[in-house]
Amino acid sequence: MSAHLPTVPAEPKDYKSELKPIWCPGCGDFGVLQALYRALAAIGRPPHEIAFVSGIGCSSRIPGYTTAYGFNSVHGRALPIAQGIKIANPELLVLVAGGDGDGFSIGGGHLPHAIRRNLDLTYVVMDNQIYGLTKGQLSPTSPRDLRTVTSPYGAMEAPVNPLLTVLAYGAPFVAQGTPADMAGLAQMIEEAIRYPGFAFVNVQSPCVTFGQDDWQVKQHRAAMKRLESLGHDATDLLAAMDKARDYGRELHTGVLFRNPAPPPTYESLVRERQQAFGNDVPSPARVLDAFLQK
Amino acid sequence: MNPTPGIDFARLSLKDALDLAVLVEEEAEERYLELTLQMEMHRTPRAAAFFRFMATNEKKHGEELQARRSKLFGDEPRRVRRAMLFDVEAPDYDEARAFMSPREALEAAMRSEQKAQAFFEAALPHLSDPEVRSLFEELRQEEVHHQALIEKEAGKLPAEDPLPADAFEDEPAAL
Amino acid sequence: MRDDLIFGMAGSGGDGIVSAGEALIGAAAAEGYHAIMTKSFGSQIRGGESSCRARVATGAIGTSNGPLDVAVVLSWEDFLKFGGELQVEGCTTVIYDAKSGVAPDKLPLVGVTPAEVVAVPIGELSKRAAGSDKAKNTVVLGLLAGWFEVAGTRLLQRMVKKLAKKGPEVVAAAERAFAAGVEHARANPLSRSMKLAAAKDAPGTKLLTDGNEMCAAAAIFAGCRFYGGYPITPSTEIMQYLSREIWKHGGAVLQAEDEIAGIGAAVGASFAGKKAMTATSGPGMSLKTEMVGLATIAELPLVIVNVQRGGPATGLPTKAEQADLFQACFATHGDSVRPVLAPTSVADTFGITVEAFNLAERYQTPVIVLSDQEIGQRKETVDPIDTSTIEIVERARPSAAELEAYSRFRLTESGVSPIAHPGERGGNYLAAGIEHNEHGAPTASGAVHARMNEKRFHKLDPLKQRRDLFEIVGDPGAAVLLVGWGSTAGACREALSMAREEGLSVKLMVPKLLFPVAEEVIRDVLRGVAAGLVVEASHQGQLYRLLRMYVDMPAGVRSLCRSGANPFAPREIVRKLKGAVLALQRGNSESLQAQE
Repeated sequence: MSAHLPTVPAEPKDYKSELKPIWCPGCGDFGVLQALYRALAAIGRPPHEIAFVSGIGCSSRIPGYTTAYGFNSVHGRALPIAQGIKIANPELLVLVAGGDGDGFSIGGGHLPHAIRRNLDLTYVVMDNQIYGLTKGQLSPTSPRDLRTVTSPYGAMEAPVNPLLTVLAYGAPFVAQGTPADMAGLAQMIEEAIRYPGFAFVNVQSPCVTFGQDDWQVKQHRAAMKRLESLGHDATDLLAAMDKARDYGRELHTGVLFRNPAPPPTYESLVRERQQAFGNDVPSPARVLDAFLQK
Repeated sequence: MNPTPGIDFARLSLKDALDLAVLVEEEAEERYLELTLQMEMHRTPRAAAFFRFMATNEKKHGEELQARRSKLFGDEPRRVRRAMLFDVEAPDYDEARAFMSPREALEAAMRSEQKAQAFFEAALPHLSDPEVRSLFEELRQEEVHHQALIEKEAGKLPAEDPLPADAFEDEPAAL
Repeated sequence: MRDDLIFGMAGSGGDGIVSAGEALIGAAAAEGYHAIMTKSFGSQIRGGESSCRARVATGAIGTSNGPLDVAVVLSWEDFLKFGGELQVEGCTTVIYDAKSGVAPDKLPLVGVTPAEVVAVPIGELSKRAAGSDKAKNTVVLGLLAGWFEVAGTRLLQRMVKKLAKKGPEVVAAAERAFAAGVEHARANPLSRSMKLAAAKDAPGTKLLTDGNEMCAAAAIFAGCRFYGGYPITPSTEIMQYLSREIWKHGGAVLQAEDEIAGIGAAVGASFAGKKAMTATSGPGMSLKTEMVGLATIAELPLVIVNVQRGGPATGLPTKAEQADLFQACFATHGDSVRPVLAPTSVADTFGITVEAFNLAERYQTPVIVLSDQEIGQRKETVDPIDTSTIEIVERARPSAAELEAYSRFRLTESGVSPIAHPGERGGNYLAAGIEHNEHGAPTASGAVHARMNEKRFHKLDPLKQRRDLFEIVGDPGAAVLLVGWGSTAGACREALSMAREEGLSVKLMVPKLLFPVAEEVIRDVLRGVAAGLVVEASHQGQLYRLLRMYVDMPAGVRSLCRSGANPFAPREIVRKLKGAVLALQRGNSESLQAQE
């Protein structure tokens, strides 16, 4: 049996809230949610010690479907809010989730900075290459030439490559999954959460209503290639980047990169700085004394 | 995908096997209920009714297995947990569609019963305990029985609607 | 003997004239004077023209604006660049470097005859005493000590303190330069004595700081333990102070990648249970508005400081304006309301900032503090503040019983619902920007939306009864009303005194709570008022219009407004006030005739 059972065994249902998902039947996000319940049960932290932050989009509804403290914020701003939470209370397990539009388009400016600060956050992106909530417009990961209601003659831009991007920004843990392999996804999310630093999981989570008909979970099942079985060395950044380049052409699943020497987390540096002043600190009530002119 | 990460079949006792079987049914029941809710929320009542029927079946089967387990092993603690299995008999989420026909719902259920049958079959060669082996044989057979049940339901269905499900559908709503 | 002097000095950045101003105000403060100093610079980051105004007085003062009593000109070219900011009038004594070659009767000032003009070989004195003309600023301090007797040798002490790290030679040179200045002043007395009377308050009792540092210190006092922000002039000193100090108190500063992330992190920290703040100026405020809405609907306490500058867009980054009032009140889409407070001085910034935290925590709402460049960056003496009597409010938290069946947005009588923090068992809820029911579950129900809007508005109602957030002084029964807010309040206070000395019956209202508009309080003030002025530094007269939106203003109450960077002097306000009274009297007699 599993060697690392938590002391109080948690069950996936402990993390499932009363709120019923409004996602379309067949949506990839159902599988992601299920995998997440599993990962959280495996970790075993009680729900009240988890803060789960999202932005806006179909996938950003996800915190409400868990029993954790949730924050379904505004479009693109999940990462800044999550960082504030983690700095304010480093004891919390802080999860961030959202879609590709939320993370790589409107919130794209926050990503490099969250990564370089390296807070111990887990960021799960449900990447469906489309704007589903607003009915099927181009997203930052839509493939070139994709025809949508805002690109009726085909997309004229190259897609963002989320994997290569986060690797280039220096993310210490990068993985990719699909709801076609929920068990693998659960394991990957669990590993991301356990990783002591910023962990990024890109989930190719197809949109059943506005996505491409020939790139649904069914096709993922046939197309996915496990990095493990390809002999990929996840400690090798260049090998990870090489595999990341296949984004949009191949569906690699598993851990692309796991920095074996995790850099210090931001919150640990915050704590060090706070402690550097010791106990010999003037009371906040004496804060005006420094302005006295003698 | 591996539906039972963390389970070593060679070391499975009869109690474990029964617990596993109960959990498999529980998982399937839960999923059918989820799909029922999805269908109800998305105005697909006939598929919803069928999924609810399946959930009831799974529940009944689960309760039977649980009764056997209690009779044999009483309150002895479980060693197998839900986290150790994944979609053994539960229909895949991507089988569901808004406005799916009852027949499509039926076909989805059929595929999950076949999936479960394949699971028990695949496990057989790894089992060392003869009692466990015979339980798995039985469970495999049960899945075959479920399939027959579904076939029977299929017979009750009216002829398939000649028009596609989305023939007169409104545009999806933007949120 | 004088009891109030306004000094204005200008030179090139290399002359160190601002350092001289800082030495002057620091020494004056230590001596027990009331003092205010503002600085102004050309647009160059380094090496441009620079200037300062310093007002030193024996009694309380509210502004350093107004014509100069003493103008110190190291270079006419630099001095003139500051135009109206360094106003020379008939009351001014002009001291300038003789080296400029300008004859005392040929000053480049149009239509002005200063009270006295003195050409001093400032550069020469410096060269002779210090071996270099670089010590001109210290010669100037010597001249000030000699002629005006401001703070005496404390001036030199301040300068020496500043120069100490530059080595003993520099210090010795400064001492000689200072002595040369004093000696020159004694040998060449001014034609009229302008010696400053001794300070009335005891030496060593005054605080000296600027509004931005005061705001940051107040934040720490109020319990702020998280700051998220992005550097922007003229608010950055708030972040700089906290970056230095907040760690000592167990807090943290996040310099974010942009304004949105700065306030976003503060929203997150507040959600996690910390008192949180962000500060910015106009352009940053524009970016932050989406988070104002989020904190409003998620009912999270948050303090947002806007140190206003001229706008729109980049506008005038280094000059004060009061044109962000509408934005503060009406920022973000949808129906929303939030307290907007404005401090009127550096001292006031302490209490107002603490109040902002208290309101944020009490009502679980974002609160905007509208400071401005003038208050934020001017150095001002502050009388000791007794912090032991100031209440610090903490947000309402759920009891153990409430956590048994917790409902984050429970509809209570006050509209305030106890707030749980992540990590607290039983409090688990979903904070959301989407409309939600009492439990936090998302909804699209119109009925719930209406109820929740009502809750969010209703909870702020008690705030509108807070008379203590209004300064109402002068003649209670006066028919003439003066209204000032933020940095114009100081000039209005002085105008009030002047007007009353001249026999005008006036009262002054300074609202420190600008929004929600406290209709009852203001109606009470307006009772019996027939004429008046609302004074503010914006083109539109935003407070005047805001008040009219909520209360019926007498037609005789007019707006006295103009774009920022054109400060109001008390004398000017008195003049306009008299004009308003005259207009009213004329109007009255006309209406009397009409009745006939």
